[in-house]
Amino acid sequence: MSGKRVAAITKRLLQQFRRDRRTLALLFVAPIVILGLLGYLIRGSASAPAVGIVNEDQGPLGATVAAALARSSEISTTTIQASDGDSKLKDGSLAAYIVFPPDFSSQAQAGTIAPDVHLEGSQPGTIAPVLQALQEALLAVAAQAPGSSLHVLPHVTYLYGGPGFDTLDYFGAAFIGLVVFFLVFVVTIVSFLNERSQGTLERLMASPLRRGEIVLGYMLGFTVLAVIQSVEVLVFALAVLKVHNSGNVALIFGIEALMAVAAVNLGIFLSMFARTEFQAVQFIPLVIVPQFLLSGILFSVSTEPKPLQVLSNVLPLTYAVNGLRDVMVKGADLSSGSLQLDVGVVAGFIVVLVVAASTTLRRRIA
Amino acid sequence: MSDSWAVDVQDVSKNFGDVNALDGVTLRVRQGEIYGLLGPNGSGKTTLIRMFVGLVEPNAGTVTVLGQRMPNVAMLSHVGYMTQAAALYPGLSVEENVQFFAAINGAEGGVRAALEFVKLYDRRDSVVSTLSGGMRQRLSLACALVHKPQVLLLDEPTVGVDPQLRVELWDGFKEMADAGTTIIVSSHVMDEAERCQRLGLILFGKLLTEGSPSEIRARAGRPTLEEAFLSLSQSRA
Ligand SMILES: Nc1ncnc2c1ncn2[C@@H]1O[C@H](COP(=O)(O)OP(=O)(O)O)[C@@H](O)[C@H]1O
Ligand SMILES: [Mg+2]
Repeated sequence: MSGKRVAAITKRLLQQFRRDRRTLALLFVAPIVILGLLGYLIRGSASAPAVGIVNEDQGPLGATVAAALARSSEISTTTIQASDGDSKLKDGSLAAYIVFPPDFSSQAQAGTIAPDVHLEGSQPGTIAPVLQALQEALLAVAAQAPGSSLHVLPHVTYLYGGPGFDTLDYFGAAFIGLVVFFLVFVVTIVSFLNERSQGTLERLMASPLRRGEIVLGYMLGFTVLAVIQSVEVLVFALAVLKVHNSGNVALIFGIEALMAVAAVNLGIFLSMFARTEFQAVQFIPLVIVPQFLLSGILFSVSTEPKPLQVLSNVLPLTYAVNGLRDVMVKGADLSSGSLQLDVGVVAGFIVVLVVAASTTLRRRIA
Repeated sequence: MSDSWAVDVQDVSKNFGDVNALDGVTLRVRQGEIYGLLGPNGSGKTTLIRMFVGLVEPNAGTVTVLGQRMPNVAMLSHVGYMTQAAALYPGLSVEENVQFFAAINGAEGGVRAALEFVKLYDRRDSVVSTLSGGMRQRLSLACALVHKPQVLLLDEPTVGVDPQLRVELWDGFKEMADAGTTIIVSSHVMDEAERCQRLGLILFGKLLTEGSPSEIRARAGRPTLEEAFLSLSQSRA
């Protein structure tokens, strides 16, 4: 063991980094960006889940609880008509609505109150705040009625999903797409970079091949692999993990395949901005992680702070994830407007990337 | 008649930042000629060759190949380019590499002939990553000439190739040139330069002189090309 030789390696390493400003920047900037984003997402969530309140109580208790709920910081309440409730859940403007029945106050007299809680159910992050806010409001009210022991038995119904749903059922849909997107992206960007570093790209550029032909050829080649991978992931998720699915399997596969094609093109496009495989791998924390955090997989987009919602709404992964959830959790088919939008955005993104990749693939290769 | 020239370079300059890679180079290559670009490392040979295939655009001047202003993609199926470092797909076999370059040039038929030309037909099933450096160099050559281009650009093609095979390859180049192929070959090896019909000597991006090997020796008044090159470059410096 020679200290000098060890020091030689250490010194060489730091010298290399000194010339690779980009890696240095990544090393010091990426953690701040990622942690900052995460902090903002979790702490800064300005938009609490929207909850509709239907107060049909003929006594005073309904109004008291409604007022308590309105004060809760965990949800934001509006007063609605019972007949509007389900449609508002479906169009996404409400995460839940709570009904206080006409005999609510008299129930309290009898010792057991049973408000109706209708949950949208497809977005796990919104369920707990609603139930918790209700619990707290009722406890506060019960405390004001000393002596009597009040039992609370909320009657919870789910528009999608249900109490039988576990975490995997909620996240499975999104993760199926994410796994394919991520792996296909990494494989594409690295192999396109190889083409560059082994000099064969220079040869391709000196051949009659057009840029668009190179990009399309790549896209088709990787799509073959990606499609096989998509089938494998889907079969494993549905047959082995038994992730809940209420939709059409062919449709799920279609969205997955679309995501794979998008990942291929993103990989080709971004490889134009990397000189080494090392720099290519750096795109993972820069491109994939923020998309992952903002795509609504873990934190539903509707509860993100407003500025982040804007960002989420321009990221294609958000639409892909939403599409997969629409199909698997809600059982949507292609007649659903929301799914049409999702598929359309992802397809449009692919077209933009193909064009961008072809134009960026410069004839001049330094 | 401009179209009897395979390559016509007029007053071309190129700089990369503050490096003047080429500085006012004018030269012409006849069809069916073996033209040697001779010069030390960094003199601009590779930059000039890359201009012939449109990979580098000049800052000033024009490059015309087979009568077409470059860059011009349609032209490229008539041009073969062997890059200085063997650029191959290491995971493919010898034959698969040649097949690929044949296919993108629309010339699937020439694979066997190209492999026989570089004496690699027996090794056609070997994976490239298992080949020696000289073999890769030969395979790279096969990939450049598989589509029987009218203009063949060879950037230091015989680096790492043993002397015996080097002689055989040059016999092959001669044969191709006799059949009408224009060959432009860069080199810093003087005994190869002797086998070119004409030479262009490049130093620091400038064309020092141009002519047949015997003309250049006579002009410098030296018995060998090597000495001629050295004396010409000193008189310029
Ligand atoms: N893409 C590039 N970027 C910056 N400098 C370059 C580039 N290509 C070539 N050069 C510079 O141009 C000069 C000529 O290089 P080159 O044409 O490769 O010489 P040769 O092939 O004769 O050895 C060298 O100084 C080289 O560093
Ligand atoms: Mg060179």
